[in-house]
Amino acid sequence: MRPTWWQRLLYAPWSRPVLLILVLLVLWDLAIRIFKIPPYLIPAPEAVIRAFLREWPRLLGESLVTTWATLGGFALSIAFGIPMALAIAYSRTVESFLYPLLVFSQSIPKVAIAPLFVVWFGFGIIPKVIAAFLLGFFPVVVSTVVGFKSVEPDMVDLARSMKATKLQTFARISLPQALPHIFAGLKVSVTLAVVGAVVGEFVGSNSGIGYVLQIANGNFDLPLMFAALVVLSMIGVILFVAVDIVERLLIPWHASHRDEFTATA
Amino acid sequence: MRKWLPFAVASALALGAGQAAAQGVKEKVTLMLNWYLYSEHAPFFLGKERGFYEQEGIDLDIQEGRGSGPTIQAVAARTVPFGYADVSTMIKIAAKGAPVKAVGIALQTSPMSVMGFADKNIRKPEDIKGRIVAVTPGDSMSQVWPLFLQKTGLKETDFRTVAGDAQTKLNAVITGQADLLLGYVMDQNMKLQDATKKPVYPIRFADYGVNLISSGIISHKDTMKEKPELVRRFMRASTRAFGAAAKNPEAAVDAMLKANPKAGVRETLITGLKLTIVLYHTDDTAQLPPFRVSEKNVADSLAMLVQYGGVDKDAGKPGDYYTNEFLP
Repeated sequence: MRPTWWQRLLYAPWSRPVLLILVLLVLWDLAIRIFKIPPYLIPAPEAVIRAFLREWPRLLGESLVTTWATLGGFALSIAFGIPMALAIAYSRTVESFLYPLLVFSQSIPKVAIAPLFVVWFGFGIIPKVIAAFLLGFFPVVVSTVVGFKSVEPDMVDLARSMKATKLQTFARISLPQALPHIFAGLKVSVTLAVVGAVVGEFVGSNSGIGYVLQIANGNFDLPLMFAALVVLSMIGVILFVAVDIVERLLIPWHASHRDEFTATA
Repeated sequence: MRKWLPFAVASALALGAGQAAAQGVKEKVTLMLNWYLYSEHAPFFLGKERGFYEQEGIDLDIQEGRGSGPTIQAVAARTVPFGYADVSTMIKIAAKGAPVKAVGIALQTSPMSVMGFADKNIRKPEDIKGRIVAVTPGDSMSQVWPLFLQKTGLKETDFRTVAGDAQTKLNAVITGQADLLLGYVMDQNMKLQDATKKPVYPIRFADYGVNLISSGIISHKDTMKEKPELVRRFMRASTRAFGAAAKNPEAAVDAMLKANPKAGVRETLITGLKLTIVLYHTDDTAQLPPFRVSEKNVADSLAMLVQYGGVDKDAGKPGDYYTNEFLP
């Protein structure tokens, strides 16, 4: 029997998170009504929606600024992260010198050093890109190292026995096997890069969603603040999906992308 | 052997209760400040050291804050009974329904100013033209800045603006990325002078007709209804504390440094406190004890906030936002 249109809607993969969000919105509204939460502590969902509709041109413009900084930081994470991870994965010496330092640097809170970037690089997009880079860099390195270290040694031996060159082994065996791990790291990295860009904006910027959040905070305009947070999350989601699409194109054979198939009756 | 045990426990309890009654049980009260410690807060420490609060039966716990906004919200949520925060900011949030009120205005003249190093020779508003001003978006000064510009005939296009948080503003002026920053006359200029040993010249908003009431003690309306005696006792002790600090700023700073040695440099704090004491009164309250603000001052501030601060037109009367009834 062919499923009806609403059955197809219900079972479509994208409809489930949307349904969950709708349920959460209803619960949020009920909670405010039942517990009589005042609007200066938590805004009602309809106030947030109204703020969103009222300010969407401004929010859109500022979100583009934040997205540029995010993409800049993300690109730097890939450009520096992957070669560094390769060096760590293929050389014990490099690993013993570099890896502990990397882990140590991750514990430094970026909010604390972000003002220094403004001092060194001025007010502009560079401090934001650097903040995004510093946050998004580590997941890329760690996952790439894991990816290259978990290449099956038997496959490498097989390739060597067939007189493959190092480059051929890398391109045909190591890289494809490492890609699933690398993409996992890239997905985490891109969402962290958004956070980094906003941190950079809090510290020194007069544009971007971070700037809108500061203004909303200062005016106690909680609906606008929540609307800006929603936009920020959407940026993260869109970038995450973009990375996922690239992953599907590059490694369609991986287990995580095989669609579930429903058994026929 | 065991028979005397209950008797021993009972008499120990009775002794303990008797001791507590003899000392006078002190109520633990938390005061949340508007920021990390700086000169403005010294009077509270003096009051605590000299026992003014203890004599009113209050065991005072002074907590640093993270901005007037969060402090006001903490009072509104009754997380703390008293807050020391910018009352103009409190009016904005009270106008949106927060049940808070000011029970005493400490700084009746505004400390807001635009300041830069003295060697840049920026002494009058006209000198701001062509310069770079560092502001923190969303904070109280950035909200009032357009009014200052209006009163002094400046336009936003007359100068460049860079935006950043508190630390970035200071860094910007120190490194020369900005010529001026918006700050308080006893806070940022002291920090700039400490860091660079160069004098700073602040242009006070109040000198150009922009006077918004500033820091004060705020409380939740329910606290005022349920525990009016506590509020009275707290304000009595605070009035004594601020009066004593006005007569002896050095002692107040020493009290603060004794409680928290990291509060700052002694000489800087004393200079800052002396600059603050000047702001305790306006001309019409010069003869009165501290905290007793004039209705006209609050009314003027409210009118300014309605026009420039984004406060709703039907925000109510000054009496909705402050009261002198708990003052001694």
